[in-house]
Parts: sequence; C-alpha cells; structure tokens
Amino acid sequence: MLSQENEFCMAMTVLERQQARLKWLQQLHSYGNQQNVLESSSMPQFQGFFGHTPETGELVDSKKKPGMYLGSSGLPRYGDFSLAASEIEDNKLDLVQAELRNRHPEIHHCLSRTSSFHMGLDDSANIEKLVENATGEDVTLKGKTQTSLKRLSPNKRKQELVAAECKDKRIKGDLDLESTVKEKSTKENSAGLSKQNQNTSTAQKTDYIHVRARRGQATDSHSLAERARREKISKKMKSLQDLVPGCNKITGRAGMLDEIINYVQSLQRQVEFLSMKLAALNPRTELNLDNFSKREFPAYVASFPAATLSSAMDSLSHLQLNLVQQASAGSEPELLKNLHQVEPEKTPNSSAFIPELSLDSSSFSQAQSIWDADLQALHNMGFHLHQG
Amino acid sequence: MSPQRLSLNPRSLKSRFTKGFLRSLRKIHKERPTSTSPREIFQRYRKVKTAADKSLASAVGSGRAWSRAMLCKCKNQGKRRPVLVRRINNNRAMKRSELTEKKSGDDDEEVGFDQASGLRKLVPGGQAMDLCRLLEEAAHYIKCLNTQVQVMRCIADCYTT
Repeated sequence: MLSQENEFCMAMTVLERQQARLKWLQQLHSYGNQQNVLESSSMPQFQGFFGHTPETGELVDSKKKPGMYLGSSGLPRYGDFSLAASEIEDNKLDLVQAELRNRHPEIHHCLSRTSSFHMGLDDSANIEKLVENATGEDVTLKGKTQTSLKRLSPNKRKQELVAAECKDKRIKGDLDLESTVKEKSTKENSAGLSKQNQNTSTAQKTDYIHVRARRGQATDSHSLAERARREKISKKMKSLQDLVPGCNKITGRAGMLDEIINYVQSLQRQVEFLSMKLAALNPRTELNLDNFSKREFPAYVASFPAATLSSAMDSLSHLQLNLVQQASAGSEPELLKNLHQVEPEKTPNSSAFIPELSLDSSSFSQAQSIWDADLQALHNMGFHLHQG
Repeated sequence: MSPQRLSLNPRSLKSRFTKGFLRSLRKIHKERPTSTSPREIFQRYRKVKTAADKSLASAVGSGRAWSRAMLCKCKNQGKRRPVLVRRINNNRAMKRSELTEKKSGDDDEEVGFDQASGLRKLVPGGQAMDLCRLLEEAAHYIKCLNTQVQVMRCIADCYTT
C-alpha cells in the first residue's frame, strides 16, 4: 500500500509536469516548429523536468509485485486518477486546440489517460518519450504500444494491464464521448486508438439502428442479433405462407412447415408426372405432327370431338393444335404467345392443389394406352381426311 | 380472352423456361424418334426430367442457391456414370449431413422448426443453408416450381390433343 501511495504522489507530480509540458508544447507550436525537431530537441529539456528520477527506483521495486497491479484495490484508484487527470487535460486541451487545429483532441485525451497509467508503472523517462511521441507526432496506438513494448519487454504483464485499462477507458469513453467521437474521428489525424473507439461505437450503433430493445429485453449484442434473426425468420415464414395455398388457416410453425413440405413434394411429383407424360407421348405426336403439319386444321378439329379429353380442352383444341403446329414449324415467339393465351383458362386447373398423383406403373401404362388409342384415332382420321 | 394477354414478356421466367425446355425437348426427340419399349420410355423420362430441371435452373440463373445446386446436379448427372455418381454422391451427402447436422441443430432447436430438415432435403442445395436462407430459397423455389408445372402441363395438353 505504501508503494501505491508513492506512485500516486509520483503520478500527481507527473500531472503537473504534463501541464508544464503542454504549455511548452503550445509555445513550440506557436513558433511553428516541425514535429521532428520537437522530438529531437525536447529530450534534454524534458530530462530537465524530470530531475528527480531516483524516485523511480521505488517504482521498479513495486513492479516486482504484480499482485498489486492486478489487485482490485489498486486499479480503481488509477482509474479515478486517470479520469481526473483527463478532466484537467481536457481543460488544458481546449486552450491548445485552437492552435493545434488539425491535431486530434482524442489523441491527447486517450494518451493522457494511458500515459498517466504508465507513470505509475514505469520510470518517467520512458513515459516522457511516449507522451511526447504521441502529442508531438501523429503516431498510431500500435506504434506506441510497440515502442512501449520494446521498453517494457521484460515484464509483459504490464502490457496486459495497460491493455485492460485501455479497454475500460474505451468503454467509459463510449459512454461519455459517444456523440463527440464521430466528429473528432473524421479528422485526418485520428490516432489508432480513436479509430478503434470509433469502430466499436459504430458497430454498436448499427446494431441499435436495426433492432430496438423494448422494455425488459436484453440489450447485449448477442441477444440483439438473435432477436434480429428471429424477426427475419418470421418474416420469411409469412412470405412462404402467402405462397402456399391453404397455409393461412394453419397456426403454428410446425403445421405450417408440414404444409409447405407437402406442397413442395406435390409440386415435384407433378413435375415428374408431367415429364413422364411428355416422354411417353412425344414420339407419336411428333410423327403425327409431321403428317399433319401441311393440312388445314380448323375443319379437321371441328369434325373431331373424340380427341378432346375434357370440355375445357374442347374449347381450346383449335388453339392448341395451332400451337402444336407452330411448335413443329419451330416458330417459338408465336408459340409462346399462344401458350400464354391458353394459360388463363388453364390456370385454375393447373394451380389446383393435387395432393396425390399416382405414379405407379400400372396406372401409367393404362393412361398411356388410352392416349395411344386417341392418337391412333387422330392419325387415322387425318389420313382419311387427306385421302378425301 | 383479352388481346392484351397476347403480349407476353419475353424476358419473364415463364417464357425463358418455355423456350429452353421446348428446345431441349426437341433435341431429345430427335435423338430417338421411335421407341415404345418401357425401358426407352423410362430413359426418355429421365432425360425430360433433367431437361426440365436444367432449363428451369438456367432460366432462374445463378443468382439463387437452389438453382446453382440444381445446375451442378444436372451437370454431374450428365458427366459421370450413374453408379459412380451415386456412390460419390452418397459419400458426399453422408459427410455433408454429418457436418450440417451439427450446424443445423442450432437452427432446428428453435421452437416449431423440427421439420426444417424435411424442407432441407426437398430444396436443392438446402443441406448447406442456415434456416433463414433456407426459407428464403424455399419461397423462391416454390414460385418457380409453380411456373414449371403450369408450362409443362400446357405443353403436355398441347401434345395430347
């Protein structure tokens, strides 16, 4: 605990030093110096600021007790401190901001937090370098952490600690600065950390845009995504319900799915049946068509009621025969027209829901024989007509 | 019958399917014009069925998962020997079902979706979809099947008379 107190004091002094440094920075920028120059020239002066480096010896000692840093008692304090520091820094930054037009305030903000945390952990020279890098140059967080990694390579746990702290802060930053982050981050000189900040915040935002949690509903991202998915599924189910006839009356998804499955199966069976029919019928009809194609159909159709299988077909037979003729002649556009002409009268029949289509071989052969007989009659009559 | 009915959109799914299907039908019948044995008829049935599937899938295009799966199936059927294909397909189907059982288990656990696996088998390529996609594809598939049945019935009626 004593070392903690030490650190806290140390951090406070560091805060003062930061303020002084910021003022100094202000001056530098008013002179319009380049940042590289700033970096190179600032080191000795900063060393001057940090005259009492021996104190860091205690800190190094305290570093050997990682439990202190990982303990729950230690961290909140740093958090408090860093927040307070950031507030102070904010005030200062408002002043600095006018001069550093393009500079990202978020950089200072985040960095001041992280750096203040570093203060407690590491010797001040490193920190000074870090802070200076960040404030003087537009270095991404990655670069910073890499440089700090280089310096802090002996104990990686610190790095983890820093990362955890950063995460905490990021969450806090989301809460506090969510509205301001976006504006700030649109600037060119946005640092890596603020980019990450923005990413996370926008990701959360997009979730919130699509799905709104009602009162009493969970708001974490998983349950939000799950809810969105469920809504999507129910929407799809509704559209399916509209497609399948007789599905409107059924309530409950299980029944509805059963109905849909039945319908798809029946449709597939109908396709099978129809292709069977086409396969069985076509050779003879093609032959017949070859024979008939040169003759006059209307007169023939009028004297041929036996070929029509139903009353509906009777009225359509003329058209259909024309259509077949055209099919054999190979003029597809007209055929399509005719086909469409035929369809309006056909649709009630074809769209009717046929639950069971017997596809067993016996009935099929029976049907085939009937058709064959019809075709034979058709052929004969055509032949007679030709002779006559 | 109104005269407006005559103007059929040539780019609609129905007309595209009809065109493709009639073309392939004519090809099939040119190959072996006269054959009445049940074996021949069955073979021709298989061809007609494949032609119907293929022309429907190509009319839909590759924008849909089920049409892609169907085209792939038709291609494989045409290429390899039936026995070989069956064995490979069985293996594949086994693996896929094993794989997807885990995956689809999460979906099917949802209330009232126990029958989703049945629908999965019916919709081509449905084994590899999640539930949401499956329902979407099923809706489109049903629409297209309806069109296919209408057109085929029309053609069959035309030929019978």
